[in-house]
Amino acid sequence: MTQRNERSFQGFHRADGSIGVRNHLLVLSIGGLTIPTARRIASSIRGALMVGFPYNAGSLLGDDRATWRRSIFRMPVHPNVGAVLLIGDNPVLAAEVAAEVARSGRPFAALTMDDCDHDAVTLTERGLRAAARLAMAISSDRRTPAPLSALCLGLECGRSDPSSGLVSNPLLGRVADRLVDAGGRAIIGETVEWLGAEHLLERRAATPAVAAAIRAAVRRREETAISHGLDLTGNNPGPTNIAAGLSSIEEKALGNVAKSGSRPIQGVLAYGEAAGAPGCWVMDAPAYASESLTGFTVAGAQLMLFTTGVGNSFVSALAPTLKVSANPVTCTKVGEQLDLDASRVFLGEEPPEAAADRLWQRMLEVANGAATWGEVLGEGDEVVARYGPAM
Amino acid sequence: MDAIRLSPDDSVATVLRAVSRGERVRIGGGGADIVLEAIENVPLCHKIALMALRPGDRILKYGEPIGEATQAIRPGGHVHVHNLRSLRARAR
Repeated sequence: MTQRNERSFQGFHRADGSIGVRNHLLVLSIGGLTIPTARRIASSIRGALMVGFPYNAGSLLGDDRATWRRSIFRMPVHPNVGAVLLIGDNPVLAAEVAAEVARSGRPFAALTMDDCDHDAVTLTERGLRAAARLAMAISSDRRTPAPLSALCLGLECGRSDPSSGLVSNPLLGRVADRLVDAGGRAIIGETVEWLGAEHLLERRAATPAVAAAIRAAVRRREETAISHGLDLTGNNPGPTNIAAGLSSIEEKALGNVAKSGSRPIQGVLAYGEAAGAPGCWVMDAPAYASESLTGFTVAGAQLMLFTTGVGNSFVSALAPTLKVSANPVTCTKVGEQLDLDASRVFLGEEPPEAAADRLWQRMLEVANGAATWGEVLGEGDEVVARYGPAM
Repeated sequence: MDAIRLSPDDSVATVLRAVSRGERVRIGGGGADIVLEAIENVPLCHKIALMALRPGDRILKYGEPIGEATQAIRPGGHVHVHNLRSLRARAR
């Protein structure tokens, strides 16, 4: 790989020390009842981004409660968020989240139904004025040089086919290694897609305890499938994967883990848990791309690399997501979805290291502000995973 | 090269273009290059058997087991969910 001398990108430095690659005004609905209002407000402000949490975090239990609270508290202080309008139906929770945002030094406003006589139209009007002022306030923020070590990269695959494991995922692995070598962080998730390849991850574990945690996470997912009588074939790999040529979870997993590169694995993160130190990490999380990406977002990943076999339009809302495919048919069909066409590697016409270099360069351009196809087309959402019953 | 064998011990190769029954398929990648006749159509990215497999035989790709054969498979045959099953997440 051509090692050009990039050690920095142009980012937004936050008062809390994090560095973003975007400067979003986030309109965040922390409860389900105010999502329509949040959507109405965000659609009226150019460039505003809306994320809604459809449940009441107060009534969730166990892992769900921990996951949702982490998500609601961390998403508004994500490095790519410049200012926040919090909207909700729970004034106590809204005040707690507002305090967290205030500590981060970001401009924000918080409004609940309770502040607006329980009237969504009043909430819309007050929210719109507050959001407009926040958008104006961050419009003068500027990018300044930032070290690559500030970057955290989420690594995803979706609607995979055998070209993903053969070409695209190893490309992500090369880029992940390069970022880790520059002092940054990289995370893979999708625990069920380690089944049959967990020994490869265990071998790279930084300590025996990390290897044991990887093994335990895989065993929990496998036992869950068995105890529910779920045959993974048809579920993961799903029907699209199977039509494209993947025959078993082991085959898919062996291709999947190549995304994580080759560097030591520092630890197993819970869903949405931030990587505490530089290096490569694994996140024990669901495999479906929408939930998986949000796990990385909550963990603070500013950028995502996402491979696809047959095409997958989904991207993170908060973190620019670069889409990669190596399937020559796919590359001709979904050109306005793919940020990198790696089909020439698949056809033996381009060395993998050259394609990895192109991906690295494009990733840095996106970090500096160039748009991804997902951003241009307004794709993107955040979907927090759910596990169990609620009150 | 029409199909790639990822590891010398692999029992299958991944076809890099759709191949039709009766075609001669050049296999490259890990291990010696060979030429094999496809005995079935194999769609793009799907797997072609490089050796005879009996029911219960482990099927290797990336040099690692990806499942077992559920029926006899002849060299040049299409290997997929109709004749391969996962070894994981099965009730013991």
